[in-house]
Amino acid sequence: MSEAQAALLLRKQLGDLSKSPVEGFSAGLIDDCDVFKWEVLIIGPADTFFEGGFFKAHLYFPKEYPQKPPKMKFISEIWHPNVEKNGEVCISILHEPGEDKYGYESASERWLPIHTVESIIMSVISMLADPNDESPANVDAAKDWREDYNGEFKKKVRRCVRKSQESV
Amino acid sequence: MGNCLKTPTADDISLLHEGRAGSETGDSSENLGPPPPYQEEAPIYHPTPNTARPVTQLTEDEQIRIAQRLGLIQHLPSGVYDGSKKGRECVICMNDFVIGDPIRLLPCCHIYHKDCIDDWLMRSFTCPSCMEPVDAALLTTYQTN
Repeated sequence: MSEAQAALLLRKQLGDLSKSPVEGFSAGLIDDCDVFKWEVLIIGPADTFFEGGFFKAHLYFPKEYPQKPPKMKFISEIWHPNVEKNGEVCISILHEPGEDKYGYESASERWLPIHTVESIIMSVISMLADPNDESPANVDAAKDWREDYNGEFKKKVRRCVRKSQESV
Repeated sequence: MGNCLKTPTADDISLLHEGRAGSETGDSSENLGPPPPYQEEAPIYHPTPNTARPVTQLTEDEQIRIAQRLGLIQHLPSGVYDGSKKGRECVICMNDFVIGDPIRLLPCCHIYHKDCIDDWLMRSFTCPSCMEPVDAALLTTYQTN
């Protein structure tokens, strides 16, 4: 697929999302001229410490999308085991199929060319509610989450939520 | 400063002539001299999903693996969308199939545009819809036939 086709596919998704918005997030372009760079606002999922927050994130799509995954980065500060301290989101569906003997090991958890902005953000929302403790990107957040969930973890997450509310 | 206001020099005039010759005659080939030697761009392959290298820079093992993969893909049934299944879209490019589109059918019976799925299969040999490994499914198909 060419760059033009990638742009077309992203434009289509942008149109679909503005016509029929999906609950839990809103999405648009950072710059209307560049369909490869998106800005999304994720609503902190209910019944989690993230509830009430409005977290801004950017998605950077490669020219080879959907054959290759985008990169995602939170612009709002967020304390989460699977988000690097610089905001980069580290979830398996944004990783290309790994280098393994048969080329399909745990393929279901890796990037697939049928993923859309919607399916990616939905995965990120479920990641917020349910962190993956096995391969934390933010080791300190993982430690807080594991060892002091209702103390230190809650405190830091709620601080991020307040900050995110101020910036909206 | 001021360079842009300089009076035209001989160089500028020659550039103008060249531009005019090309656009006015519509046939600039006589002004361009012999064409450059024929050079085909080396195709890009993905020895692993997150690397991309031109064919000239692959190791022998990678070449063999890629050739095997290409061979397997060639064995998958392909055809042209005939409209027998209405309203179907290719879930990779999210475009509806149009009669005459080249399509490929995977052993799990999922269909895609040939270009969309072949590119993916060179990266990962799985069906994007059901995640079924295509080679294992191929073997099953052979055994049952």
